Amino acid sequence: MTPVIETSGLTKRYRRVTALSDCTISVPQGRISALVGPNGAGKTTLLRLLAGLAAPTAGRAAVLGSPARQDPAYLAEIGFLAQEIPLYRRRSAQEHIGFGAHLNPRWDGESVRARLGGLKIPLDRPVGALSGGQRAQVALALTLAKRPRLLLLDEPLAALDPLARRNFLAAMAEAAAGGDLTIVLSSHLLADIERVCDHLILLAASRVQLCGDTETLLAQHRVLTGPRKDTTAIARTHAIVREDTTARQTALLVRLNGPVIDPAWAVEEANLEEIVLGYMSQDDPVYGTGPGAARLSAVGGER
Amino acid sequence: MTWVTWRQYRYQGALAAALLAALAVVLLLTGLHAAWVWHSALAGCAKNGSCASLPGSNLSLSTPLFKTLVVATSAVPLLPGLFWGAPMVASELETGTNQFAWTQSITRRRWLAVRTGWLLLAAAVLAGAVSAIVTWWSGPDNALTADAFQVNRFDVTDIVPVGYAIFAMALGICAGALLRRTLPALAVTLAGFTGLRALTALWLRLHYMTPVTVYYKLTAAAFTPAGSYLGISQGVVGANGQPPVAGPGNYGFNGVPVPAACQQFMGIANANLHAVESCLAAHGYRGYVTYQPASRFWAFQGIETGIFVVLAAALLAVTFWVLKRRDA
Repeated sequence: MTPVIETSGLTKRYRRVTALSDCTISVPQGRISALVGPNGAGKTTLLRLLAGLAAPTAGRAAVLGSPARQDPAYLAEIGFLAQEIPLYRRRSAQEHIGFGAHLNPRWDGESVRARLGGLKIPLDRPVGALSGGQRAQVALALTLAKRPRLLLLDEPLAALDPLARRNFLAAMAEAAAGGDLTIVLSSHLLADIERVCDHLILLAASRVQLCGDTETLLAQHRVLTGPRKDTTAIARTHAIVREDTTARQTALLVRLNGPVIDPAWAVEEANLEEIVLGYMSQDDPVYGTGPGAARLSAVGGER
Repeated sequence: MTWVTWRQYRYQGALAAALLAALAVVLLLTGLHAAWVWHSALAGCAKNGSCASLPGSNLSLSTPLFKTLVVATSAVPLLPGLFWGAPMVASELETGTNQFAWTQSITRRRWLAVRTGWLLLAAAVLAGAVSAIVTWWSGPDNALTADAFQVNRFDVTDIVPVGYAIFAMALGICAGALLRRTLPALAVTLAGFTGLRALTALWLRLHYMTPVTVYYKLTAAAFTPAGSYLGISQGVVGANGQPPVAGPGNYGFNGVPVPAACQQFMGIANANLHAVESCLAAHGYRGYVTYQPASRFWAFQGIETGIFVVLAAALLAVTFWVLKRRDA
């Protein structure tokens, strides 16, 4: 089956800054994918390229097999919610529903009314007068009313309080429950992500470091702790993502390449947060998919 | 998209319609008064056959206040471009709502085309309506003072205001798309529109067509072109085409320097003007008037409208290109 998102060598350069470099990812249908990475890693750029709001400098991006572009048929498949949750502040949700009805081929205005009615969000008040959490819910409901097959959410949780965050994620997960909708959600909130996402894309320094199902990623990584000692033996077989050395002991996050044999190491499962932080805090991030993946397998191959 | 445009601009449209109605009422009342004064004067002069002297007489058709108001309508074509055009793209980019609009199932091109189309139409209709009222209002005044071709009358009547309004709208939209900020776009629209209007009204317009120059004998009455002409220059020239050079005494009469050869007629106390004129004529000097005849009024209206519409088209082409090519 064709992946919902497929990019290869996707690169975006602004005058001097490279916002996204050689990004090759693939997201299968029905995934709720977390797009994580430090500020300025290129998360927003990737989402904007997929939404057709920006054009790539090099490489290509495709959603459901058709290249990202300004085209009604392409845009109809995509729901995009920008970070600042841009809505017309002086217009009511009701008016936004009207706008959507006139600008989209398949539009489910009734779903917005039902969803907002359930949350007791007034339809007739200007959205500028609503709280941040309510506004985010209005924006999400409007984005879902397009009946997109891919939902791109750029840090929608950033401005929300914990309760609003939970409600937002619940609404999102409910929309994805059918399995037809694929979601990419960029966020810094690793704990929230761990709860709802089953796929992860990690960007750092404008490159893809990781891309895959969380189950696979969890299975691939282990935390090794042991007495302070030389790690070259481990590095010969496995890829060390991150090394923390104190006076007494060494803790390693490794990407496995077979079982860890040396009994000096205590092997524990890594959680998603540890993996993400491990890759994000690398001084020289060379691991992951894309060209980094090639180097990773090269490292793993020196046996 | 048309519905969306209508929803977003209906309050502003209603405000514009209300202001237009208020202006129309004021001009209708004062215009009816002016027409009544003018027709009474015509009826009066017809009785004693003095109608030939009516133009140029000091008949008062209106008050300076309303005359100023009519001149001030030259700002009307700017307003839609300033307040609707400049924010059209810029305010969306400023607030980020373009990301909402441009990720609906519609291309930016279509979004821009529909909005631009309706706003251009609104600006043209508004300017056209004001111009129609002002043109009607100015009828008696033009008949009395024959200044249809003058700056401040030409610019507020007939079709040129429509061209100005289309240009101002295109300039506002284009400036907003390029600068991505409403306030700078407003400033550029204001400066660009005022600058181009001043340039055309005060200089360019005089040269749309080769002007007509009429020479007349200095001993005869000065030549005055018929009707509402557009005067460019007038004075006295010699056979070589140059104006006379004042002689040692630096005398002049009626603003014309008197050359050395004719200074003998310039008695300090009471100059014999007729003798000076005869002397100048004898030395090959003659009077001239360079002007655009009243018959070219509509050609000039058409040319000036055309210039502004063509510039508007170029600005809109740039806008479409920028919005298509630049990232949102």
